[in-house]
Amino acid sequence: MLIFRKPLEGIERPQMPADVVIVGGGPAGMACALRLAQLIDAHNAAHPDSQLSKENIYVLEKAREVGQHCLSGALLDPRSMNELLPGFEKEAPLDAKVTKEAVYFFTEKSKFKFPITPPFLRDHGNYVISLNKFVKWMGSKVEETGITIFTGFAGSELLFDGDRVTGVRTDDKGVDKEGHQKSNFEPGYDLQAKVVILAEGPRGSLTKQLITKFDLAKNANPQTYGVGVKELWEVPAGRIAAGEVIYTMGWPLTTKEYGGAWIYGSPGSGPKDNIVSLGFVTGLDYADPRLDPQRVLQEFKKHPFVAKLLEGGKMIRYGAKSMPYGGWWAIPPVAGNGWMILGDSAGFLNSARLKGIHLAIKSGMLAAETAFEALTKDDSSAATLGAFQKKVESSWIKEELWKVRNLHQGFEHGMFAGMFHTGLQMITGGRGLRNRYRAKAGYEHMRKLTDLPADGGPEALLLGPAKGDGKLTFDKLTDLYHSGTKHEEDQPAHLVIHDTNICNTKCVKEFGSPCQNFCPANVYEMVEDASQPNGKHISLNPSNCVHCKTCDIADPYQIITWVPPEGGGGPNYDGM
Amino acid sequence: MLDTILVVVEQREGKLNRVSWETITAGQTIAAATGWTLEAAVVGGSAAPFAAEVAAKKVAKVYAVESPKLEPYTPDAFTVALKQFLAAKQPKLVLMPHTYQVRDFAPKLATAMGRTVISDCIGFKHENGKLVFTRQMFQGKLAADVSFTSDAPWFATFQNGSFRGDKAEAGAGAAPIETVAVEIADGVIRNKPQEVFKEAKQAVDLTQAEIIVAVGRGIKEQKNIEIAKQLADALGGDLAASRPICDSGWLPMDRQIGSSGQTVAPKLYLALGISGAIQHIVGMKGSKTIIAVNKDSEAPIFEIADYAIVGNLFDIVPPLTEEVKKAKAGS
Repeated sequence: MLIFRKPLEGIERPQMPADVVIVGGGPAGMACALRLAQLIDAHNAAHPDSQLSKENIYVLEKAREVGQHCLSGALLDPRSMNELLPGFEKEAPLDAKVTKEAVYFFTEKSKFKFPITPPFLRDHGNYVISLNKFVKWMGSKVEETGITIFTGFAGSELLFDGDRVTGVRTDDKGVDKEGHQKSNFEPGYDLQAKVVILAEGPRGSLTKQLITKFDLAKNANPQTYGVGVKELWEVPAGRIAAGEVIYTMGWPLTTKEYGGAWIYGSPGSGPKDNIVSLGFVTGLDYADPRLDPQRVLQEFKKHPFVAKLLEGGKMIRYGAKSMPYGGWWAIPPVAGNGWMILGDSAGFLNSARLKGIHLAIKSGMLAAETAFEALTKDDSSAATLGAFQKKVESSWIKEELWKVRNLHQGFEHGMFAGMFHTGLQMITGGRGLRNRYRAKAGYEHMRKLTDLPADGGPEALLLGPAKGDGKLTFDKLTDLYHSGTKHEEDQPAHLVIHDTNICNTKCVKEFGSPCQNFCPANVYEMVEDASQPNGKHISLNPSNCVHCKTCDIADPYQIITWVPPEGGGGPNYDGM
Repeated sequence: MLDTILVVVEQREGKLNRVSWETITAGQTIAAATGWTLEAAVVGGSAAPFAAEVAAKKVAKVYAVESPKLEPYTPDAFTVALKQFLAAKQPKLVLMPHTYQVRDFAPKLATAMGRTVISDCIGFKHENGKLVFTRQMFQGKLAADVSFTSDAPWFATFQNGSFRGDKAEAGAGAAPIETVAVEIADGVIRNKPQEVFKEAKQAVDLTQAEIIVAVGRGIKEQKNIEIAKQLADALGGDLAASRPICDSGWLPMDRQIGSSGQTVAPKLYLALGISGAIQHIVGMKGSKTIIAVNKDSEAPIFEIADYAIVGNLFDIVPPLTEEVKKAKAGS
């Protein structure tokens, strides 16, 4: 019997007042904290008689250490960092300046280089970074300001008073599998905050609670997502230059699926090694429920070009992260009574450039300016925080996203239609055939097994689990081992399935239990059970979870809600 | 009347809990800072012998709060006894160690007297005549200063190790001891104490085992684990499992081998129906000899096995057990 995590009821919780609580210590949350500290310091220097305190500003981070849940390609467009910390290049951990770039279209055995790199994929002036290292550094800057980062604490639910967000409840610690208190039980805190800032990354669980409660997404396109599955490799020197950037489209995906790969080169730790960051982003709007994004990456590595690059190398890390593709039209309102939403949680990601870090940072800065106004005016109602919405709309965030506002929607009917729309949008300033292309949620594209060829057709090589040769390709569990993920085992399942009957009686028949395939961490398993009508029942391995949220996004019945497990658990994305 | 600090020391099963000395030190330190008087109390069926022990320390007075109904310990009796005693004595501050027993009765006692407890403190400050206690929040990431706004008596408990027990100052002479008999009416005690629960020692230390028989998902059903157990018994080894088995509750967690369980290196490791995912292998790859039984000839466990048996464990294990038994009987 599965017991799911939820905040315990009927217990007394410690109450703690706060000025600002930032949920999530990624690039958006850290930039927000840093900018807020800068503004307060400047204010205090100018107004000796009305000092503002930084003591009651908190960042909640569910990872045991700052940065351990941060994963990205990653390329950093330095625009927002130059605004936040001019001269940051001198001290930030940057692996290499982009020196060389290429875009390829892959076929099974061959490749075609795009004669010119499309403007949105030109990366000169950007840096190859490890987001994990970069955010660790940002975290140290935040701590220098005197703002407290609570690592190992997740936001488990929002607190409300009518239509106002009044705070955040942190996770209950020391709850066993059955939901009972263990001897080390510690209730979650109620942080009663004037301003709550959600910077949880894509598909944030508190963001989801907020959007659902106030129906915030009603006028937006449904958010669409991709899942990026990444491996970090150490390869012999000479295979790829530090700062070399390669994008590929095409194989192993067919023209029907949206997605592509990245390959970035960084200097290695020794003189003989280079580090290769490679990953494959698969749009979570594919049709065949048997498709497995981790398998897609394995197939991709078998391409002669990639296999040669990796030959003799060693895979050292693995991870996965979802990313919001939906663009400008999918962004819900980002400010209201007591709350603001940043970064990937809001959907500030440029899917044409495959970049969101610079937008996350910028959104954090703008939210900090608004939070600062709220503190000086002592008003954090929508009247004050609404300024964040306007700041976003008059900033270069909108300017950048507006140009690609219809990009991903253009691909809903496959690659050729997508390329047509993209071309058209490029010459019409992002408009294309109409100002706003509508979209369907990704999971609505999933088709039932009876509507699909039994052998998988052209997609056959993307379906089902990868076997792995142990050298170039890996099965999912082996990959997963390299994510370093770890959780307290004796706790309720944090993958909340609202109706397991659907899993056991309906989904298994109709879709063949796609959770087993789309989850890049083997959390979901259908185990044999003669007592079930279809001979199987759903079983969870929550401690395998890498916190990518793909299940919450891609499940065709939308009955899975990802909630944070006990704080401190999760992947260990050192160097990712 | 001078303000008084009262330290309630803890005795249990005929012994003074050592952590009580830490609380005495805490009381002495606060008394030095505030100039208040320090007294101590022991509660129990016959508290006097413990009171004598405490009286050797630098305290103004020691009370032995006694009633036959205080033995064995029950939260009801302790609450009634202490409430009576405190109401008569009117101390300003009551200090206790943050032990399981105190955690059990202190909230009840404070509530019965309409007061609150500042629990699990790690220190105190005395600033401008104000007494402030320090508690940890967010798993020690923050230290909160907490003070009382209510009337006395104030209750506070100190975390283990907050003060040094060996620093408790001895008194110039033995402090006077006063025995206080408390009345506990019939019917007050609703608790029926059972035998004292001791956390079961880990039943098995697999890291010391020389022979381990481990089962994986191939065992299919909980009842089949008996097959593996018989083999383990015949070999004189211990039974272990891969994660799915312990996760299903078929075997306790302390028998789980692998990255989320124990790491073992026995002389002989028999893997029955274990596919050999890397998460399991990291926990047993140091074994001297590995024998693996699996239906799937491509199971990764065979890559590290010294002896590979491709076949159904239900066909292989029972006869193997019989052979082991025969061989052992013959030797």
